Amino acid sequence: MTIFDIQAFGEQFLYDPKNPLLFNNGFFVFFFAAFIVLYYWLRNRLTARRYVFCFFSLYFFYKASGSFVGLVILSAIVDYLLSNAIYRQQNPFRKKGLLLLSVVFNLGLLFYFKYTDFFIELSNTLFQTGFQPLNLLLPVGISFYTFENLSYTVDVYRGQLEPARKFSDYLLFLSFFPKLVMGPIVRAHDFVPQINRPWALQESDFAQGFYLIFSGLFKKLIISDYLTLNFVDYVFDDPARYTGLENLLAVYGYAIVIYCDFSGYSDVALGIGRWLGFTLPVNFLSPYQSGNITEFWRRWHISLSSWLRDYLYIPLGGNRGRSLASILFPALFFGTLFWSAYSLFGLSLLTAFLITLALLSLFLLPAILQRNKQTAFTGMNLFTTMLLGGFWHGASFNFLIWGALHGFGLAIHKLWMMGPGGWVQSRNGSSTVYRIIMLLVTFHFVCFGWVFFKAGSLEIAGSMLHQITSDFSLSVWPAFFGNYKTVVGLMALAFLLHAIPDDWMSKRIHLFARMPLIVYLLVFFGFALLYGVFKAAEPVMPIYLQF
Amino acid sequence: MNAPRRVVSFVAWSTALLLGFSIAAYAWNVSWTPFNRINLISDLVHADSIQSATVETTSVPDSATQAANLPARRFERYRTAAQIINFQTDSNRYALPHFLERLHTLRQTKKGKIRIAYFGDSMIEGDLMTQTLRELLQKNFGGTGVGYVPITSIVAGFRQTVRSEYSRGWSDRSFKQNPGNAPLYLSGHAFSSQSDWARYTDRTRGDSSLLIQKYLLCGPDSNASIQFQQQERLITANGSFNRILLSTDAGRTLSLSATSNTPTLYGVSFESPDGIILDNFSFRGITGIELAKLSANWLQAIQQQQPYDLIVFQYGVNLLFRPMDKDFRWYGKAMQPVIERFKQTFPNADVLVVSTADRAFRYSGGWASAVGIDSLVAVQAKAAFQSDVAFYNQFATMGGTNSIVDWANRNPAWAGKDYVHPNARGAAWLGESLYKAILREYRLYTASINRAKPKPANTP
Repeated sequence: MTIFDIQAFGEQFLYDPKNPLLFNNGFFVFFFAAFIVLYYWLRNRLTARRYVFCFFSLYFFYKASGSFVGLVILSAIVDYLLSNAIYRQQNPFRKKGLLLLSVVFNLGLLFYFKYTDFFIELSNTLFQTGFQPLNLLLPVGISFYTFENLSYTVDVYRGQLEPARKFSDYLLFLSFFPKLVMGPIVRAHDFVPQINRPWALQESDFAQGFYLIFSGLFKKLIISDYLTLNFVDYVFDDPARYTGLENLLAVYGYAIVIYCDFSGYSDVALGIGRWLGFTLPVNFLSPYQSGNITEFWRRWHISLSSWLRDYLYIPLGGNRGRSLASILFPALFFGTLFWSAYSLFGLSLLTAFLITLALLSLFLLPAILQRNKQTAFTGMNLFTTMLLGGFWHGASFNFLIWGALHGFGLAIHKLWMMGPGGWVQSRNGSSTVYRIIMLLVTFHFVCFGWVFFKAGSLEIAGSMLHQITSDFSLSVWPAFFGNYKTVVGLMALAFLLHAIPDDWMSKRIHLFARMPLIVYLLVFFGFALLYGVFKAAEPVMPIYLQF
Repeated sequence: MNAPRRVVSFVAWSTALLLGFSIAAYAWNVSWTPFNRINLISDLVHADSIQSATVETTSVPDSATQAANLPARRFERYRTAAQIINFQTDSNRYALPHFLERLHTLRQTKKGKIRIAYFGDSMIEGDLMTQTLRELLQKNFGGTGVGYVPITSIVAGFRQTVRSEYSRGWSDRSFKQNPGNAPLYLSGHAFSSQSDWARYTDRTRGDSSLLIQKYLLCGPDSNASIQFQQQERLITANGSFNRILLSTDAGRTLSLSATSNTPTLYGVSFESPDGIILDNFSFRGITGIELAKLSANWLQAIQQQQPYDLIVFQYGVNLLFRPMDKDFRWYGKAMQPVIERFKQTFPNADVLVVSTADRAFRYSGGWASAVGIDSLVAVQAKAAFQSDVAFYNQFATMGGTNSIVDWANRNPAWAGKDYVHPNARGAAWLGESLYKAILREYRLYTASINRAKPKPANTP
């Protein structure tokens, strides 16, 4: 006997902290269907369409994070008013003051929710202050919309952008639901002009959107979720219980997980945007195909790295100038490095000094070699950007270390290209062997960084590296493979898919454009059932190898 | 064709069809798990059959106890959390009488060694839980030293209480691999080599000025030798099990190398001349019935050299490896003889059975305690009850059903994301809880002897 639960039906429309709205909720299917029908019905009434879009986006926000939706509305109001004031203000000092106000407001909000506890704990450890942590919940998407707000007011200040005339334009730019939780970070000058355009699509747009949405969902819901739950989380949770081989494979696994999760989400956002007639910036271009770390940052989370370039690296001085901050943060970092090497790790003063000097010289050497002071400042600006970019990902030392590692990586790549690398490339640059070696080196460097990115603490990261370097034996492979067949298969599939060139699909998309709708429906049901199969699969439990 | 319309018709058709199938599945009672997981209306409808299934699960432990035909009033005490249960009806009657008497004497005279053998699986690996218990007991009753340390260990890098370094050539026989069936030590291991080296540093916190005895535990050999702190040393190893005192000083480091005359080694031990010594015998992946491989004669030989006062068995989590298992009666039948054998071969020791901790599986509604956990706890309690030894309900102490889910999701977490292993934080709490339970019995004990002797005794 089946009973329809009317109360549960009503509760579906409210925010449930245990089950926030994501693309894979059943509720999203209804949400999206209702939205699409209204969007189509109002396609020629732009104002009404915009209001409906705003309403659905804010409702999505509410279903994903509850009352934090108020923060989005608040910051939209503040930045809308400030940007218009900045635009109208003729007095350069007042103009600057207003910009400063916007920066303080946006960063203050981000800082309060994201970093307060980190600094409270830091202060408690260093100065025994005994402050109570606030234990704040992090509002969904705040890191993303803060950056969108900042780029917007800065662009208006720089005179590169006319502020949005209608508040609802701005609100929609900020809350556009496909990109809400995990980006991409959108720029107002790209996005706002698209809001009031009629809904016009090519046949290939439908196919392209479909491809992006379902390949994104496949990456996120099947590959990433399965690997996380059935393998990667176990090992990262307590690496000392696992052998070196398991730890290494878990790092490779995490490299896949973070890519599939992040780029999968971005792809879904891009795909939904495409269906609605919006073009969002591409966020990932098969980053593990990169042959060096500089290239990696041109392919990884592109909307973030270009944001950091335009609104952090260039204001710091970029490759043509310097500022107080280009010295301040590196000085803090190297000072802390020296101090912790000496007093935390118990190294002698000389060793601590030599280590610090060696890392510092990564930035000084190019300047000495090129006899150009600016080169050193450029290196410092880049390092500061990576350091703060790392910290943007989360409030912990692990993310700072991760950012610093990538800063060092970029510096090492620069040095390499000035010396032996440049020489090799000029002679054998196009040889396959050289490309493969560089690709593997880059991938492993990125993986090394992921250890710090994912590990819950520095001890865990250390224990993981210890297991990989000192407890490594291939003899556990048969037992490992026996237990984790699906995991290994999915990892292999993910690497295989990653090897496909980025434009492979867009070159062939016209072939699918004229397929009858039934084919798409079949693919949809095939995917839905596959998702069901993976969701219903018995969890793989860890085997504790080492016998 | 108009592409926006294509988007709309695709979304409308796919939603309508999926919704139609979802309703149809309920209307015609079609159940196929992968489809159930994507059924759009599964949150909105309730099938009556689910409720009856829940009733059935909760009744399992009751039927297990009824089948055993036990006097319910005493046996039912096993459900009590955070207490050492001796199944007596008189709740003022303390458990572990021999052990408590020894504790009391130690506290008054400061003399004598109390030995605890703590057997377990991966839950106590790396001295988790036991390091806390040892530290608290030593702080309250005296003693220092980490106790038993195996020659090599898969968790050497993880263990905080001892630093172990050793060369790679040691051969290790164990419960899992023991060609020739020569005796294995209580730890389930035995080591041999002719040239390998090892170095151990006791890192337990304690009074660092106290003397520490360093023992070598080894098998027989008529003219045995070993390199100790870089010097060759002849040792007398006549018994089938030998404890050889290598040195007594304030040093905390012991280094040794095997020679061609080195007998089978079982490990080393760091112990103060008086006080509490707790040996951690962890063996990953076992359930305790492997201990039946240690013969009565061999256990007697160990007990003559190293008499224990308390023997703890903490197993169970490795029995819960399939999510739907509920019947563990076979385990009770296999484990009880092990308990009996230890009881007989260590006549002066009290035995304590510690139940499984909570462990979860991912069921359709998310992570939840193994459905068989209640019946496993009951089976373990029954084994303790029938062997007339004490019992400690670790599962109830943790908080019972779904506590491991809560522990793993806490911030900071108390358990791993495998929903099996408490981490250092959770294990420390478990160790402290067991310590408090022992202390509770100790207070009952001192209260009862104070009643017997009117003269005020030196009680804590």
